[in-house]
Amino acid sequence: MDVLDIAIALIKIVVMFVVVLLTVAELVYTERKISAWIQNRVGPNRVGWLGLLQPYADVVKLLLKEDIVPAAANRFIHTLAPVISIGVAFSTLAVIPIAGPTITLFGRTVHMVIADVNVGILYVLALTSMGVYGLTLSGWASNNKYSLLGGLRSAAQMISYELSMGLSLIGVIMITGSLQLTDIVHHQHGWMWNLVLQPVGFITFLVASFAETNRAPFDLPEAEPELVGGYHTEYSSFKFALFFLAEYANMITSSAVITTLYLGGWQVPYLETFGLSDGWMVLVQILAFMLKVAFLLFFFQWVRWSVPRFRYDQLMNLGWKVMLPLAIANIVLTGALLLFL
Amino acid sequence: MPDIIFQSTKHFWPEITLALTFIAAMIFEFATKKRTTGTGILVLLGLAAALVQLPSAPSEPVSIFGGMYAIDPFSTFFKYVIIVTGMVVVLFSFQSQELKKESGHTGEYYCFIAAVTFGMVLMTGSSNLVMIYLSIELVSITSYILAGFSKSLRRSSEAALKYVIFGALSSGIMLYGMSLIFGLTGTLDLSGIRTALASGHAVTTGWSFAALMAAIVLMLAGFGYKVSVVPFHFWTPDVYEGAPITITAFLAVASKAAVFAVMIRFFYVAFFDNMLASTGVYSSFRNVDWSMILAVLSVLTMTLGNFVAIWQDNLKRMLAYSSIAHAGYMLMGVVVMSNFGLSAIMLYFVMYFFMNLGAFYVVMVIADKIGSENIDDYRGFGKRAPIISVGLSIFLISLTGLPPTAGFVGKLFLFSSVMASQFIWLAIVGVLNSVVSLYYYARVLKNMYLREAPDGDESPIVFSKVTSAVVILFIIPNILLCFFYQPVLTFAQRSIAILLPGL
Amino acid sequence: MSYTDAFFYFFAALTVGSALVVTFSRSVIYAAFALLFTFLGVAGLYVLLQADFLAVAQIMVYVGGILILLLFGVMLTTRVTNAEITTGTVQGLPATVVVGILLGTLILLVSRATWNVQESLPDVTGTTTEIGERLLTTFLLPFEIAGILLLVAIMGAAMIARSTDKTKEAA
Repeated sequence: MDVLDIAIALIKIVVMFVVVLLTVAELVYTERKISAWIQNRVGPNRVGWLGLLQPYADVVKLLLKEDIVPAAANRFIHTLAPVISIGVAFSTLAVIPIAGPTITLFGRTVHMVIADVNVGILYVLALTSMGVYGLTLSGWASNNKYSLLGGLRSAAQMISYELSMGLSLIGVIMITGSLQLTDIVHHQHGWMWNLVLQPVGFITFLVASFAETNRAPFDLPEAEPELVGGYHTEYSSFKFALFFLAEYANMITSSAVITTLYLGGWQVPYLETFGLSDGWMVLVQILAFMLKVAFLLFFFQWVRWSVPRFRYDQLMNLGWKVMLPLAIANIVLTGALLLFL
Repeated sequence: MPDIIFQSTKHFWPEITLALTFIAAMIFEFATKKRTTGTGILVLLGLAAALVQLPSAPSEPVSIFGGMYAIDPFSTFFKYVIIVTGMVVVLFSFQSQELKKESGHTGEYYCFIAAVTFGMVLMTGSSNLVMIYLSIELVSITSYILAGFSKSLRRSSEAALKYVIFGALSSGIMLYGMSLIFGLTGTLDLSGIRTALASGHAVTTGWSFAALMAAIVLMLAGFGYKVSVVPFHFWTPDVYEGAPITITAFLAVASKAAVFAVMIRFFYVAFFDNMLASTGVYSSFRNVDWSMILAVLSVLTMTLGNFVAIWQDNLKRMLAYSSIAHAGYMLMGVVVMSNFGLSAIMLYFVMYFFMNLGAFYVVMVIADKIGSENIDDYRGFGKRAPIISVGLSIFLISLTGLPPTAGFVGKLFLFSSVMASQFIWLAIVGVLNSVVSLYYYARVLKNMYLREAPDGDESPIVFSKVTSAVVILFIIPNILLCFFYQPVLTFAQRSIAILLPGL
Repeated sequence: MSYTDAFFYFFAALTVGSALVVTFSRSVIYAAFALLFTFLGVAGLYVLLQADFLAVAQIMVYVGGILILLLFGVMLTTRVTNAEITTGTVQGLPATVVVGILLGTLILLVSRATWNVQESLPDVTGTTTEIGERLLTTFLLPFEIAGILLLVAIMGAAMIARSTDKTKEAA
């Protein structure tokens, strides 16, 4: 590993950061636009062409605000919490492969993934589970009852849904026989996407992802009518921006994970029949990957503005009494099918 | 490897039956939610089913699951003791008022009894440090829950909490000892450890040897905690007093039997050097003098147990200290490292089973009747409840080890095995201790027979026919075994075969 | 000193240092928080030993599960009941002496004894498959027993946590 390798890795990381940050900005815009369409409004349309620059204006507004830390709050943890949230959201993307073939850059073979960890799936799950810390600690450190309740809710919710999330994945692992995400994508060649092979697992995973990202209808940690703002009630300015960023980055991350695991990742059916060169293949595949992610992001927002929020006990019942048994049944079924087919 | 597993399950049916009993009882409990003794009966049947499979165990030691587990007459003997104790405890529990007060949920109580019995049975055969640790943890965690089962009683919750804290500490220490052993020998398998020691590896000299001894001491912390050997005994009185009395009886008999089995297996197998067929005396690797450590612990244990018992007013608590003392006596049998010592321990466990369970049963029925376990409240009992009092007297005399009771024979063989191995001083300490124990056991007798009830109340306390019958059922073996101990002894002597490496 | 060595010392220092904070911190919440770094340090050590599966499992189980529940408990008890839980020491001197002797002995033994060490790591690319196979062959029995153990623990926890009928009536 010499300087060039490190430089390539750094370039990948920087590119990933920039792309995600830009996407987050536009996500905020689309969120507002989509909600407007669904509610038959116009939505942002003043800043820039069609209001496209609105999110940047919002960011500037946020950063210019005063950073307030409650007097009795624990300053250190109060500051650390958003950092954890954002760090976790970005780190997960490191193992997501965005294209199959390698390209050659400065005489090096470059893989279209930042780190091809051979326990990739577990890495994703481990980081997801660490995401709870950001919310829980921010809730605790704010020294505010709404924050605390939001933080505790998020911890309970995420732990409950992590289980069914992990268990739904096992079907995919069983089919692929590997924990490496590149292997999993390779295995979904053509139309053999895991969506087709694992429909039940896909649904449980999708629902669990909604809960893990605290998106509606599972956005109880920040349920406005009950908890003011939930865990980030006491946050303002840059730290609030970080939480905001983390929420959307999490959405991107989970869309990317779902794409990789169930929607065939960068796979484009019949692409190899066109006889494209590796460079073009990579481009098409990255585009395909992004399209799939974009569709899921749209889906996330669509659901948010269409489905009412769960009540807390409904959420727990769904998690433990429906999702978990379904995920386990899925494992048993997959095992039986693999054994007898 | 699958072949080995299928071969292994063939010998593993008693354990499998117990595990299935636990799971079936749990499902039954969930499915019915009746507050009846149905789950208890199911567990009783399951234990019986496991028991009847024990005689078909192979008479030669077998190693199964790739050395994880040993099936040998030695472990089978302890399995008998444990499973029978489990059944007796279930039967006692049917009668216990203390448990009935706990507003239902007794179904789960029986599930845990099945689980803890399963764990204890596993302990007797574990021949790999991983298995030893897991089975001890299975027993420990279930015991914590059972000790705190009477949730409405403050002392029960306190008992459970103390049990957990001490248990966590000692199991951590034991784990550290295991890791040292693994680091020194590179294996977790007991016979593998022995092979590593015998292969002239540097473990038996210098600093490595010191590390090995330290590891043994750390392991002893784990074992010692479970049998309440002295520096690790602090939990015993509180837990024995606070736990439901059926559980106290279970812990005092079956749990001890299981830990003795696993401790003997650990020391005899891992540090086994040779056994002289003529005398049946084991020898350990030349330097690894674990028996001396045990001898010291044994003396400390019985002395402290007996002397502190003198000051106790609560009979349950007194029996707790007495059980500490008994653990000390039984440790002597481990110290001597001979087949004689082994068979003496086994014989002692049978006797201990009858006398201890009998005593705890009487304490339970009296506590259910008068709501007290205080020795002063036993005044005048000799007249008011003759059968129960006679029973308790015989059990206590048996615990002291005086003729004509089972306890006498047990102690006789234990002390002779110690004498035979030239540990004269140890035997003398043991006998002196028995004399001390006479004092506090006799105090109960004095209260029952020589003192009037405080308010001159001489109205008889009526116990049900079942209760009297059970007490009589326990009196009979306590007397009979003094004279007709031969079959038990023969059985114990036949059961000394431990799975040893290289034999 | 190679990269690996540097990383080893970093993770070792992280583990031991944060473990010391866990031990000596008076605030339970800080102790729990420091425990997070202890776990991460241990996971890092696993990575250096090429135990990739173990490392990630360590994070998932300890960091993602156990510690969260621990924090959960601490937060509920400190903030909701407004009681500041701190840890104190009793019997400081005797404890220090005993622990000091124990620590000294162990350090002496660990540094002097000859350990059964492997000179180099076996060349493996992934441990997951191997671990899976071992768990269902060589270590089948312990694996199953661990399952029963966890089942018992869950049942027990549920039993202890459940409110009794009596308290329900009172409430």
